[in-house]
Amino acid sequence: MKTVSSRKGERTVRRKVIFVLCSLCAVLGFFTVLSVNKVLNSEWELPSAVSSDQERQRIVLITQELDTPFWKLVGQGAAEQAEREDVGFELWGSYGKNQEDFLKQVEIALHSKVDGVIVQGHDTEEFQQLARIKAASYGIPIITVANDVPVEKSLRKTYIGSDHYAAGELLVEQLVADMGTSGEMVLLGDAELEYSERLRLDGMEDSLARYPEIRSTYIESGSSDEEAADAAQQALNEHPNVDAFILLDIRQARVVMQEISSRTELEPFYLYSFDDGSDASALLTEGKLDAIIEQSPEEMGEKSVEMMMKWLRNEVVPLDSKGYVTDIRIVEGKDELP
Amino acid sequence: MNTIQKKIWMLAGIVIVMMFAIWLALTFYNQKMQDQYNDILQRYLQMNEVTASSQQTVTNLNDYLSNPTARSATTLASSQKRLQDAQASLLELRNADNEFSLTNYSNMIESFIETVERSAAFSEQGENDIAASEFTEANRMSVYISEMTLSIFNSELRTYERFYRDIIRQSQELNTMGILLLSLTSVLLLLFTYLFSLSITKPVHQLTKAANELAKGRFDQPIRVNSNDEISFLAKTFDHMRVNINKLIMEIQQKAQVESELQESQLLLQQSQMRHLQSQINPHFLFNTLNTLSKKAYLDGAEDTSDLLVSVAGLLRYNLKRLDHTVTLEEEAHVLTQYMDIQKARFSDRLTFHIDLDPAALVYQMPSLTLQPLIENAVIHGIEPKEDDGEIWFRIKEEDQHIRVEIEDNGQGMDEHKIEQLLTGGIDPQEGHATGIGFANVAKRLQLFYGSDDVIKIESMPQCGTKIVLKLPKVTEVESYV
Repeated sequence: MKTVSSRKGERTVRRKVIFVLCSLCAVLGFFTVLSVNKVLNSEWELPSAVSSDQERQRIVLITQELDTPFWKLVGQGAAEQAEREDVGFELWGSYGKNQEDFLKQVEIALHSKVDGVIVQGHDTEEFQQLARIKAASYGIPIITVANDVPVEKSLRKTYIGSDHYAAGELLVEQLVADMGTSGEMVLLGDAELEYSERLRLDGMEDSLARYPEIRSTYIESGSSDEEAADAAQQALNEHPNVDAFILLDIRQARVVMQEISSRTELEPFYLYSFDDGSDASALLTEGKLDAIIEQSPEEMGEKSVEMMMKWLRNEVVPLDSKGYVTDIRIVEGKDELP
Repeated sequence: MNTIQKKIWMLAGIVIVMMFAIWLALTFYNQKMQDQYNDILQRYLQMNEVTASSQQTVTNLNDYLSNPTARSATTLASSQKRLQDAQASLLELRNADNEFSLTNYSNMIESFIETVERSAAFSEQGENDIAASEFTEANRMSVYISEMTLSIFNSELRTYERFYRDIIRQSQELNTMGILLLSLTSVLLLLFTYLFSLSITKPVHQLTKAANELAKGRFDQPIRVNSNDEISFLAKTFDHMRVNINKLIMEIQQKAQVESELQESQLLLQQSQMRHLQSQINPHFLFNTLNTLSKKAYLDGAEDTSDLLVSVAGLLRYNLKRLDHTVTLEEEAHVLTQYMDIQKARFSDRLTFHIDLDPAALVYQMPSLTLQPLIENAVIHGIEPKEDDGEIWFRIKEEDQHIRVEIEDNGQGMDEHKIEQLLTGGIDPQEGHATGIGFANVAKRLQLFYGSDDVIKIESMPQCGTKIVLKLPKVTEVESYV
């Protein structure tokens, strides 16, 4: 026979056990609900299905200089325009002027039957071959951007970009304004000049012809950094009284300037270049470059896609084969690039 | 009723349903995941098929160009067919992320097939140089296709990376959920089991407690069990049993009481018979002698004396035989009258006897020798001490429920203490009593006979006389009276 107190004790133990079990249940239930919610709500993010069966038109922008900010801006502008036009767009290309890769990309684009190819013009036989024959056989329009290839060689529809001849002239005017009408200057240029670079050179030379006091020398700077450094040495050796340097290829600017500053002060020299390389803005803000010709890469990108779409939609037929010129302007050193 | 079996079934059912639900959910989820994996794997396999079949086509084209037979042409055609099938299936793989590259890919295959066809066609026309250059082209395109396959693989991997991570994260979450769910189920099960066991053991405890109470002999506490299963049924049955036992015990107690009362009445009877025997030394001799004396007195002309003697003899005879029998009121009244005749002879003018009988009441039965001792009491205690004017009233009246018998005297009366003594037998019968049967004996016998305590009542006050009232139930027939 149990006593009253033991029975009471039993009852409290029973209550305790039930309470503990219930609270355990509540806590576990809470966490279980949370976890179940998490499991049920976390949907797998699969790429969304294609919006329509109708294939969107595809435009490819191909460059050999994917690594430069200039071309990034071009790509950006083109992508934005493509977005507005609701057209498929991709930026393809090669790094560091890898021509073989670049040509392959162009070939792939043509074989892939894209609707339009916007390409950084490359004035070589292979490129012309591709542009003239392959593209024509597939019926794919080609627009050159930033760098042109003459229409008779490439059968491009049009060219979008700076007027490089005018850019050359503008730079010479800046040089004259800075240095005066007399002095000695050195032009440094790649081993293989692009069509655009040649135009710049032409522009500069034609302009310089008006200033007989200015002696100009053209020195080939090769394509690698070492060759560029050698060219700079050569220029300093052969022309000790040189006042100004104009670099056709901005990518060689840093090497050349390093070379000069290793020999003498950089400050007395006038240094000019064209903006299509990565170093331009940094060198300008550092004050090492005195001026560059700044182009409008985003505008080029936008315009190229716009014109391509106009062509594809038969709005403007034919496109102006002379090309559509985008803005250029002089940016002096210590001025910030936008 | 909720049976224990039902409870067990319910518990088992809940467990099974829970397990089944969890199993179903996990299986469903696994299946879903597996399907997704399969889909993705399928994508890779399809793309790989493109590469493989394009290379196959190049090989077959080469064979065909170097050895243009019908057989190699068929092989070429079949590999082309295979490539086209693969191309067709690519359409299903398109999504927003890879639409561009997949379209390129598909077009590339198309161009490739066209080139292959051109090459074959030129070869057929005998233009082997052009065929060879087209073959070179096709070969290059085949390489491009392989590269493109790889790059699409790459972008697919990038696209699905997030998805894989999601799957991995979710499977981790699923693991957590599984563990939580398992523990929740276990705790719930524990709780249910505990409550379930309580629902069985608690009533058992209550029942045990009740049984203990019964074992201790407390039959008056009802058994209550808070349950609705077999235990409650058991408890109800148990309670029923308790009630029955209680009733039985009561009956036994009543019987025992009746038996003891019976024994007591026998004892009283024996006692009165003893007294009786003591007083009748040879009653028959006395009876005969009285009769002889009566005749003698009659012959001698003393008629009063003779009558008196007859009365005495009648009284004696009545005393002799009627003690253990019931008699009618009439007989009792008759004996009483005879007794009073004798007493009147004794007291002559000092005693006046009033009698008032209701004839309807005289037929009922009552124990014998009950009224005579009472009236004797009235004579001895009421009249004897009195100088004169002693009066005694004797009345029998029939009332609704009973017969009322009154014996009243105008003697000196008595106080309540004496009444009490008289009723409980505290006063022994004095000498001079005809039968020696005391008041208490009469009262007890009446109470036993009628089974009622308020048969006899004494109303008396000192100096105001005494009135004895009997309320006799109407008994017409008595089967046996010991």
